[in-house]
Amino acid sequence: MQKRTSVKNYPHKEKISRSAVGKNKVLFLTIKPVKMNCQLCQKEIDAYRQVKLPHDMMTQVESHLKTCKTCAGIYRQQILAERIIKGEKELQPDPFLTTRVMAQIDKLDDERYKSAPSFIKVLKPVLLSISMAAAVAFGILIGNLPYSGGEREKIPVELTLIDDAAIESVDVFANE
Amino acid sequence: MRWLKSAGEVDASSIFRKFPVMTDTGIIKLILQGDKEKYTILVEQYQQMVFRTCMGFLHNKDDADDLTQDVFINAYQSLPRFRGNAAFSTWLYRIAVNASLNKIRKSPLMMIRQQFENLSGDKKGKEISVSITDGEDPEKILIRNEHVKWVQRVLDSLPENQRIAIVLSKYDNLSQREIAEIMNASEGAVEALLQRAKKNLRKKLSAQRKN
Repeated sequence: MQKRTSVKNYPHKEKISRSAVGKNKVLFLTIKPVKMNCQLCQKEIDAYRQVKLPHDMMTQVESHLKTCKTCAGIYRQQILAERIIKGEKELQPDPFLTTRVMAQIDKLDDERYKSAPSFIKVLKPVLLSISMAAAVAFGILIGNLPYSGGEREKIPVELTLIDDAAIESVDVFANE
Repeated sequence: MRWLKSAGEVDASSIFRKFPVMTDTGIIKLILQGDKEKYTILVEQYQQMVFRTCMGFLHNKDDADDLTQDVFINAYQSLPRFRGNAAFSTWLYRIAVNASLNKIRKSPLMMIRQQFENLSGDKKGKEISVSITDGEDPEKILIRNEHVKWVQRVLDSLPENQRIAIVLSKYDNLSQREIAEIMNASEGAVEALLQRAKKNLRKKLSAQRKN
């Protein structure tokens, strides 16, 4: 009696023999378990470590590792490699790294300025002073311009003679 | 807000208070406008990531610290050339990988120095000897340390591309798509690289064992 088994459970390694039986051509799959050897075991070590193999494959690799010294050694080394990587990943960078970086950047900026050609070093403050002096001079010039708004009507002399204090208060009219 | 998620040990709430809706691109824009203090945000946010990558290539904390600093300074100086086509983290990964490879390529001197340091018992030796306080047998610790160095040598002996793929995958836990973006390769190519790297590692480990 042939056993019908899903291929999904055996994604890669098992040899599958197919046979069409009967008139209606029903497909039966027979799983022939592959004999575990060193080559296969070493290939599956990664998946075994991550428990990603089907159950019976896990058992086969496990029992092979118990009996084969070479594969067991390789398995141990891979675990060691993983541990080393994990250990290195857990290390923290220098807590003053940011300060060191920013100090170095400041230093570089200063050096860049110091190493700039001398005419740039002189030119920069000179240009700054000239632009500031020009701004002040422009302001003074604008302030001293003669007023040219002659279209405004002149105030008659009579109005200038009115004494505001003597004018009757508005309240007087309001009370009436 | 990818950068806040990956901030890790950085106090995200304080960043929120200071810079409520600031993306990497926004921060870079401000830095380029002259506000260079904002660069501290990027350094704090990505230092762990860069450090891990450097550790993957150098296996030495002090060297990785120095290289991380160099990477951030290089990145700062190259910021005007950052076009924003890729994420800032991808760009930074590329700088970190290139800097690490350059450092390794200069390695004849570095190797001699490291061997000298290992012999004289400082630096690397100090890092490994942390476990001596556990009360373990010193002979066992010595053998284990030898194993550690040997596994590191095996990792370092991988071809350059495979090594980059393995470091980014194992140390930085990046997906194949992210690795492909950093390496300017297709996902398929990265998958093949990783497969070959694992196969090579297996082969080298078993060969070393036989010796």
